[in-house]
Amino acid sequence: MTAEFDTTVDSEGAPLGVSARPPRSLTRAFWPIAVTGAVLALVPLWLGDSRLMMGLAVDALVFGAYAIAFNVIFGSTNQLFLCVGALAGVGGYASAILADTAKLPMTVGLALATALATALGGLLSWIAVRRSLGVIFTGIVTLAFSLSFANLVLGQRELTGGETGLVVAAGEGTFLRERVAAYYLFLGLLVVFLVVFRALERSHIGWAFRALRDSELAAELAGVDVARYRIYAGVIGSAMLGITGAVYAYSDGFISPSTFAFGHVDVRVLVMLAFGGLGTLLGPVVGTVVFAVLDELLIDFGQLRTVVYGLLIIALFLGFKRGAVPAVADLLRRLVRQARSRLGRQP
Amino acid sequence: MLEASGLSAGYLGENVVEGVNVQVAAGQAVAVIGSNGAGKTTLFRALCGMLPVSAGRVRFDGEDITGRPAHRVARAGLAYVPAERHLFPGMSVRENLLLGAYPGRPDPSAFELVLDLFPRLEERRKQPAGSLSGGEQQMLAVGRALMSRPRLLMLDEPTTGLAPKLARSAYEALQALKETGVTLLVAEQQVPLALSLADRGYVLETGRIRLEGASEDLERNPEVRRAYLGVA
Amino acid sequence: MKAVALDGIVLGLQFGLLGVGMTLIYGLGGVLNLAYGQAAVLAAIVVAITLTAGAPALVATAAGLLAAAAGGVVIDRTLMLPVYHQRGEHRVLLGLLLTLGVAFVIDGLLLWRYPTGALRLEIGGEAVPILGVRMRVGSLLASGISLAVGAILLLFFRATTMGRAARSVIQDEVGARLVGINPAAVRTFIFALSGALAGLVAVTRSMTSPVSVTAGFDFTILALIVAVVGGLGSVAGAFLAGVLLGIVSTVSAFYIGQYITTIVLLAATALTIVMRPRGLLGR
Repeated sequence: MTAEFDTTVDSEGAPLGVSARPPRSLTRAFWPIAVTGAVLALVPLWLGDSRLMMGLAVDALVFGAYAIAFNVIFGSTNQLFLCVGALAGVGGYASAILADTAKLPMTVGLALATALATALGGLLSWIAVRRSLGVIFTGIVTLAFSLSFANLVLGQRELTGGETGLVVAAGEGTFLRERVAAYYLFLGLLVVFLVVFRALERSHIGWAFRALRDSELAAELAGVDVARYRIYAGVIGSAMLGITGAVYAYSDGFISPSTFAFGHVDVRVLVMLAFGGLGTLLGPVVGTVVFAVLDELLIDFGQLRTVVYGLLIIALFLGFKRGAVPAVADLLRRLVRQARSRLGRQP
Repeated sequence: MLEASGLSAGYLGENVVEGVNVQVAAGQAVAVIGSNGAGKTTLFRALCGMLPVSAGRVRFDGEDITGRPAHRVARAGLAYVPAERHLFPGMSVRENLLLGAYPGRPDPSAFELVLDLFPRLEERRKQPAGSLSGGEQQMLAVGRALMSRPRLLMLDEPTTGLAPKLARSAYEALQALKETGVTLLVAEQQVPLALSLADRGYVLETGRIRLEGASEDLERNPEVRRAYLGVA
Repeated sequence: MKAVALDGIVLGLQFGLLGVGMTLIYGLGGVLNLAYGQAAVLAAIVVAITLTAGAPALVATAAGLLAAAAGGVVIDRTLMLPVYHQRGEHRVLLGLLLTLGVAFVIDGLLLWRYPTGALRLEIGGEAVPILGVRMRVGSLLASGISLAVGAILLLFFRATTMGRAARSVIQDEVGARLVGINPAAVRTFIFALSGALAGLVAVTRSMTSPVSVTAGFDFTILALIVAVVGGLGSVAGAFLAGVLLGIVSTVSAFYIGQYITTIVLLAATALTIVMRPRGLLGR
């Protein structure tokens, strides 16, 4: 367990293993987001013609958004929410039903759906905090929630279309249904989430997150209301999930239980973050890209794809505590530092 | 029976005890005395395999047991009662004792011996170990160690958390034990008690042996008297 | 109504057996084994293959149980080693993630090789009237086996040296070492036992309805539910919870519907965790 007491230090002097403090200056803090956004904005220029490829790109962005949300909840405060898909599903199904069945305007549907997801996620956080549920029990309770949601959707066929899924009328004919426009919309959402994540990191909330991640007891003794900050994380992350799910429903036009299922969403998010790095800013983005590519490469493998994901989960969580990319980045940084000091010593 | 030569051990790369030589002959009672932080617990853990050894050797009855895992050392006839006792809290007194005999079948005469030594345990047979008082837990810990009929019994600060009267009766029990032929190695902060039981003693200070000798000699030693017996 | 209740007990006994393996691994190994259902499915496939190859039922069953137990041993001796180095929550989390990975690997491989694989054990014989309800022989045999195994396990853990030794490891691992118990050996044994139990559940379940190769995760979730409600680490608790939940499940499915039933079971799990985390009979 020495990884938590890793004394290797990054360029800012913050200990690694526990995640580093975000950069102080505004430009240093936010330029990675700007660059990422700019780079990703170029994708339609390359793939824009293929409706299929653009569809996949949009999906990738959606998962990226999910991953950032999970990063906020689990990466920041160690709350194992195994209901990422379900919370997004609450957003998706609620917005679709409110717009189509209750005939509410899309914006209202969006707002209410997001509010519902936020409330549910916040409730789960609150319960976990009030009852002092550890990581495992939180995981089990949220998993129960996730599976219950799936069963609820399956059971209420008239309202939700059950297993066959729901065709979403709202959003038809709007720009939301155009793949390229939808891509930029989700890219915008992704960038906003990244900005929120970074802003949180730099605020007193982020400081509290780091403190409680490092040592819950020490944080409490230092006056950090661990309970409150955990709930903040739960609420913010759930809001992100809810809004993503809601927009997805309007944009894609079709949702089904499998769109938001544990096996489909949560597992992928876990693998993505295992790659990209839990608790890091761009981890989810890196993970998204890697996963999207991987998924494409493995498309002909059928069931063996599941096998590969399983092996990846094992390898990644065995080998790298907080993610593959951070570990590699760490290694590179150390090599660079060694090389620099060796050069410095030459006469 | 037990011999440590040049023993060094510690935590996270730092040695807490350095170059320790200790000998315990069969049938003897030997005390290791020292204040808090002297390294007594570290030494004991290294001797019985709970802590990896960074240098030196440990020999038990001529056999080199350095680095052997703790459960195998226990089976070889060396029983260790740590200061924290490590009883099985949810299991009854009886079950704790039965497990002491692992892997063999519990020897009824060993059971008798333990209950004779600690009659209080007989009353509490069915009670979960976690519900016993501090003194009773100490008795149970020693009793459990005795169930395997060890040739050498190591005790780390057996008087921890015991009122003076209980501490004295604990040492009376240890004396009775010694008379049945069990070899004893005791780490102790309470020097008078330890030296009253022991034939020989070692004084451990900041991880090294400072003095050794027969317990009467140690009792008369002016440094020992000043540092540990509160006598000017 | 009586028929529904009796069916509930039959189902409940199987639930109990399913939960026991999971509760043992968590209670004694400190690991939540998400690949548990896959062990059951693996056993089912092995039994099915051995049966089609012409072997008698008992041999096939033994082969299945052995395969699942062996799988458990392999996982314990390889993947779980880094997990055991960790303590407390980190151990459970890493164990959870790694076994999830294993679950996917096994699931993927089995589905790829035997996409339509299923195990069906036909137990012949006239239906037997119990309390005025005609029960299939298969149900009775499955229930009998579950009860017998449950009793044996209870006896084993309570009254034998090995069983006590196993319990002691989770109570105080250091203490266990001090009395000469090797915690690693105990954990391997528990993993193997748990695998065999999972396999046994698959076999007994197949006596009443077919066990398909896709059933892995469903088994795992069910086992988790029963183990949590019964109290993680308690054998008797798993059986008690199993029977109760089996009856609730059958009654609910009969009168209300399948999806609501699943939600009820999941809600029971969440409620247990929130209101009474040690479960029915846990410590």
